[in-house]
Amino acid sequence: MSKAAFPVNDLLRRRLQTSLTLISLTVCVASTLFLLLFSEQVGLGITSVAANTLTVGYWAIFSNFLLFVGILIFAVGAVIVSFITFLMMVQRTRDFGLIKAAGCPNSLVVGYFLTELLIVLFAGCILGVALGFLTDYAVINMGAFQAFQKTPNVWYAPLVFVAFFVFGLIFGLKPLEAAARLSPIAAISPMQYFGLNEGNKFKALSKSRLTLKIVSRSLFRRQSATVRMVVFLSTVFILLTVSIAGSIIASDTTASRIENAVGKNTLLVAHKDMVNQYTSLLSKFSGATAKTDFNYLDQNFALPDDVFQELNAISGAANFEKRLFYEGRIQEVMNFTFSDSATIPVGADREADSLIVGIEPENVLSEWFMEGRFPKNSSCFEAVVGDSIAAITFEIPLLQSFRMQNATLNVVGVCLDPINNGIVVFVPFEMLKTLNNVSNPNLLLVQLDSSTDLSSIILELQERLAEVNSDLTVFELNETLEKNVGFLEATWSVILFLPFFSLLAATLCLIGYLVLAIDEQRHEFAVLRVMGAKPATVLTILAVQSLIVLFSSFAFGISLGVIITLLILMAQPVVTSFTILAISGWLLAALVGMFLLSLWPAVRFAKKPILEIMS
Amino acid sequence: MSLKTSDLVVATDSLNKVYHLADVEVEVLKGITLKVARGEFVAICGPSGSGKTTLLNIISGIDKLTSGKILVLGQDLTVQDEDFLADFRCNHVGFVFQSYNLVSTLTVAENVAFPMEWSRKAEEEVETRVAKLLETVGLQHRENHFPAQLSGGEQQRVSFARALANDPELVLADEPTGNLDTKNGQKITQMLRMLKANGKTVIVATHDTELMQLADCTACLEDGRLAS
Repeated sequence: MSKAAFPVNDLLRRRLQTSLTLISLTVCVASTLFLLLFSEQVGLGITSVAANTLTVGYWAIFSNFLLFVGILIFAVGAVIVSFITFLMMVQRTRDFGLIKAAGCPNSLVVGYFLTELLIVLFAGCILGVALGFLTDYAVINMGAFQAFQKTPNVWYAPLVFVAFFVFGLIFGLKPLEAAARLSPIAAISPMQYFGLNEGNKFKALSKSRLTLKIVSRSLFRRQSATVRMVVFLSTVFILLTVSIAGSIIASDTTASRIENAVGKNTLLVAHKDMVNQYTSLLSKFSGATAKTDFNYLDQNFALPDDVFQELNAISGAANFEKRLFYEGRIQEVMNFTFSDSATIPVGADREADSLIVGIEPENVLSEWFMEGRFPKNSSCFEAVVGDSIAAITFEIPLLQSFRMQNATLNVVGVCLDPINNGIVVFVPFEMLKTLNNVSNPNLLLVQLDSSTDLSSIILELQERLAEVNSDLTVFELNETLEKNVGFLEATWSVILFLPFFSLLAATLCLIGYLVLAIDEQRHEFAVLRVMGAKPATVLTILAVQSLIVLFSSFAFGISLGVIITLLILMAQPVVTSFTILAISGWLLAALVGMFLLSLWPAVRFAKKPILEIMS
Repeated sequence: MSLKTSDLVVATDSLNKVYHLADVEVEVLKGITLKVARGEFVAICGPSGSGKTTLLNIISGIDKLTSGKILVLGQDLTVQDEDFLADFRCNHVGFVFQSYNLVSTLTVAENVAFPMEWSRKAEEEVETRVAKLLETVGLQHRENHFPAQLSGGEQQRVSFARALANDPELVLADEPTGNLDTKNGQKITQMLRMLKANGKTVIVATHDTELMQLADCTACLEDGRLAS
């Protein structure tokens, strides 16, 4: 055999191990590359704020999750690469000893196995880059994300390639270097081959049944590999929990906030052009555009008093809210705050165009998720600002005020409202009337009783409004609400999908771990079979090992994942019993799926004849 | 030939075993006809590669024959499934390997006890039996040690104790003294003598002349055939 052919032949000889290593490496590289490409393309990138969709507050929640999931995916990738290269090289320690014992110089043996490592790393990284691009292309062409198609940033490919290649090389070289230092006799010893502990002095679970005794002691004997596996799987389960629990809780929470802000069972009554403009402003949240030269204060849009009389006559309409919309410019007013008896300036004199909405504070249908409070009454000079305008124009909004048409209003609250993507200020209606010399609102929100038949009341309302003004129309906001909530759900489902690759890689590594366990214990299993153990007993011993490793990682990963999700990433989460059921279902499905797939080598092994195992 | 003889523990008729190694067919056993009566001590001798281990493997149900017939304790092992064979080996056959083959994760006492756990014996019964067996092989002071902490001779004695755990009717030993020095080999021979005295049916594959002298009859294999 030529010197050059040895590494290739050796990799081909260990087909299962080589395939597992290659696939694991490929999915790690692919998942990281996909995350970078996709997040940038959708415009919710970790480094770039593309504010055409989602309000700043919503983007911040999503971005935090994406950043955290990104860090975890990279961490999982790093741990996987370190684990699989460790596993790959540790299992060559014995061969290292054998070749050295046969008289081959140390440098040549190192060269053989280093070449193997380089081949696997190169092939895995290349395949991963290709799979990453393919997955990104496939996902971006799915219905929900077609609006975000743009050329992917190809520079991520060399970045991810180099990062994982170097990482794999560092972790692969460590056991290789350790093997090179060993004498041939020590390298041949099973102690080295399986990374076992010296001796067998730990009598774990002495009082338990035979299966548990063998399982617990084998796990302790393979301490090095077991600890690595538990650390690695724990990271995967943290990632899974943050992704699954996080995306479900965040999806429910943000959807609930949107519903509360827009209003459920709410009708919109306004001039038909005003209705179109309002719905476009609401849909900017999910990527739509609204007219920029729209004259909100056109006299035709003012709702006559007759409209309110007609509405009062309708049964089933529980509440009304009058709103006056227009566009204006607001200017930040600088303020001061005190800290340790020093005066610190807050803000500057930034300006921005904003949607200005006049509301009656005592008669508001929206239940915003907000920081601060509502204006005290209809004529005070206080305002609530949207989260986006708060981020763009103010430094500490609740300590500041702004000027608008020669009036100065104190900011008393910051709210999450999808309208105009959060570039909105809510000010008392009476004050706006004075400033703009208008007396009537240009839009009316009507909240219906939940028991009301929606279609019949719309029909009745249409007829009554037609008598007042044929240009007035009724619009059901549920449609726009569903569109926004649907967009949010689609966005969160991306996070739900992101750990799929890591989960796949983790399953493959768990299979790799069981292959190692089988390799290490194969002779003992053969002896047990000769002494009367049934194939099912061998399968049980391997299955329990897999379960213990999985469950210990699961318990640690889930606990930490939940803490991260609820205490760090999501303020005031909406958690219903259905949310808990959904999260438990997903996590259990992942656990059961991983467990069943990990049994594949064990099932294959248990079926083998005793002599084949012994040979 | 009829194999249904109640006094026979092992009966084979024209037993053949062929291994297929790549494109090569290797005939390991050729037409072996052998009868071992209850309480008989049989030594199987022959040079390396003559088929001794294969014959023991087939008798214990670890391996399947290619053609011919075999009855062990009245059971035709060729038609049984793995679960039956496992139970059969656990309860009726004790096996001693040349290389001891103790389970390294279990202590001496646990190694002796585990075949009894599979045959669902009561805990007290298992403890009493383990103590008695370890006393018999002179290793009661080593019960909590792991195999790696024992010498080769001690490991082989544990292996004997394990083989006798379920008080099997048939004990098979594959070159039990092959890896031992003279002193330890004599201890094993002593144990086999004790088994013979207790009326156990024993089949030993061996090169050891001392063991052959102990046997009631000796079957020599040469190139897969019974020479005598």
